[in-house]
Amino acid sequence: MIKVKGLYHSYLKDGKYAVKDVNFEVGEGEIFGFLGPSGAGKSTTQGILTGLLQLQKGDVTVAGYDIKNISRKMFNKIGVSFEQSNVYNKMTAKENLSFYARLFDVETRDPLELIELVGLKGKENIKTGEFSKGMKHRLVFARSMINNPTMWFLDEPTTGLDPAIAAAIKDIIKDRNKMGVTVFLTTHNMYIADELCDRVGFIVEGEIKLIDSPKNLKLQYGEKLVEVEYTQNGSVKKDCFSTILQKDKDALNKIINEKEILTMHTKEATLEEIFIKVTGRELV
Amino acid sequence: MLKRIWFIFLRDIRINLRELMTVYMLVIPLILAVGINFLSPGINDTSVNLVLVKDENPEQAAYFDDFAHVQLMDNQQEVEYRIAERDDVLGVLAGDNGYYILAQGNEPESVVEYARLLNVLYESEVKLEDARSEIIEFGRTAPPLKKMLVNILLLLITMLAGMLISMNILEEKVDQTVAAINVTPTTRKAFILGKGFTGMFVAIISSIAVILITGFYSINIGQAVLVILSVTIISLVIGFLQGLNSDDFMEAAGSVKLLFLPMAGSIAGYEFVKGNWQIFFYWSPFYWAYRANDMILSKSGSWPQLILYVGIILVICGGIYALLARRIVRGLQ
Repeated sequence: MIKVKGLYHSYLKDGKYAVKDVNFEVGEGEIFGFLGPSGAGKSTTQGILTGLLQLQKGDVTVAGYDIKNISRKMFNKIGVSFEQSNVYNKMTAKENLSFYARLFDVETRDPLELIELVGLKGKENIKTGEFSKGMKHRLVFARSMINNPTMWFLDEPTTGLDPAIAAAIKDIIKDRNKMGVTVFLTTHNMYIADELCDRVGFIVEGEIKLIDSPKNLKLQYGEKLVEVEYTQNGSVKKDCFSTILQKDKDALNKIINEKEILTMHTKEATLEEIFIKVTGRELV
Repeated sequence: MLKRIWFIFLRDIRINLRELMTVYMLVIPLILAVGINFLSPGINDTSVNLVLVKDENPEQAAYFDDFAHVQLMDNQQEVEYRIAERDDVLGVLAGDNGYYILAQGNEPESVVEYARLLNVLYESEVKLEDARSEIIEFGRTAPPLKKMLVNILLLLITMLAGMLISMNILEEKVDQTVAAINVTPTTRKAFILGKGFTGMFVAIISSIAVILITGFYSINIGQAVLVILSVTIISLVIGFLQGLNSDDFMEAAGSVKLLFLPMAGSIAGYEFVKGNWQIFFYWSPFYWAYRANDMILSKSGSWPQLILYVGIILVICGGIYALLARRIVRGLQ
């Protein structure tokens, strides 16, 4: 569904690249997570893929369309949910979606159905200028589905949402994916990526460091750890031991045999910890 | 593409009609047009108004009607009441020694003298056919002050259209909605045309309304619309650019108002500068638009002349657009 080969982009065209030599592919029906800290090049890459930024160097195809000579027809197939809540503040939620729907050449979804889907039922006739940031964000998410896209770009879809709403949004993404929709998810939230993505790509300073499934990454880079809380000389101590390293295993055995254990938990490495390990950067 | 241009236009019009500021901008030319009617004499009015008693002397009434605005009252008392009203009206009434002129006393002397002379001519049985003098005219059919004010108002409307565009673009910028439009099949050309059509539509409707309100019914409205459309291009280009470069409406409107300077200069140049010096205003599309409108309002122009003026306006506006188009397109990315 997406093919990116040798992608470079420089905003000032001065040889300083926001993304450099980016290569990846996203298969049909896949949820691909594009992960990285702020300024890593995620939005630049997504901007090029969605035609918002001009392709300078490299080969990119999206939904079968060559981005070099972009065809407006491509936009009938793709949906984009922006990180910023870019809706018309002077229009109601329903008017926003109705207007947007008219700009497509394909059959579109009922605005009221989408408004209900994202939990905004009853707010359809309220001007979005009166909406909270979270409500606007949900409307932007709903808008991205109006043309029934087969290729869906989601930029931080759960940012600023309360856990219940975020869970509902994740369920919608899963449902759409089950229906065959390909998802390109840009986020710095490793938990949502871990939960939703078939594969993830780590991007730092414009370069992709690695691409794999969260499961493989955990197997490859994540150590199984045991976190132990115990008493020593009347005070409570807390240590973490690897279940792979012999030295740690011996130390853990010793504590179990000699000390009074208060709590003991196994711990799996998170995607965030793997990201830090691989890139040497935190996801800020 | 036409479908999308239409929907963008409809959206903008709908939003504009909800905003107090834009409604004010749409209504103000009409209020000014009504104001012009109050301030200047009507295009079809004669300068002398006479009141006579109905059926007292129909032949005299018919004679006066050819040279003045004649009003007939049922009796002498009604004539007196009419004379007592605020406007300049003179009564011509039968007395013991022929007809006399009834006036309030504060009427211009020339008007009273005209009425007296008219009565003398009637009594002397002088007819228009008796006149031997040939009339050679400059072709002016409208009161010069009124024509000038209407012409200025028509140019002002194009400026308001630019401000409207500026506001609509600014809305897109503040709400960051251009990116959302850019990921639909809508081309930038369709977006610009949709936005521009709003300004054009407002300019046309307001211009026609102003022409009709001010009484210029008999001019060629199609010609006037053609001139308004051509000169509106420059306001739209500036409106687009300022909308994209501004952060709030006051800043955008203030920038568009800069166009007042060349506009006022062009009008002053045409009205007050000697013919051979007018060449210094040829660069201004407002100069040509004012000149073309003057011709249309005077009903003294021909189509080839008008097409020449519109052609010059389009060439100048097209050049300005070509200079600024890249900045506009870049701003919409």
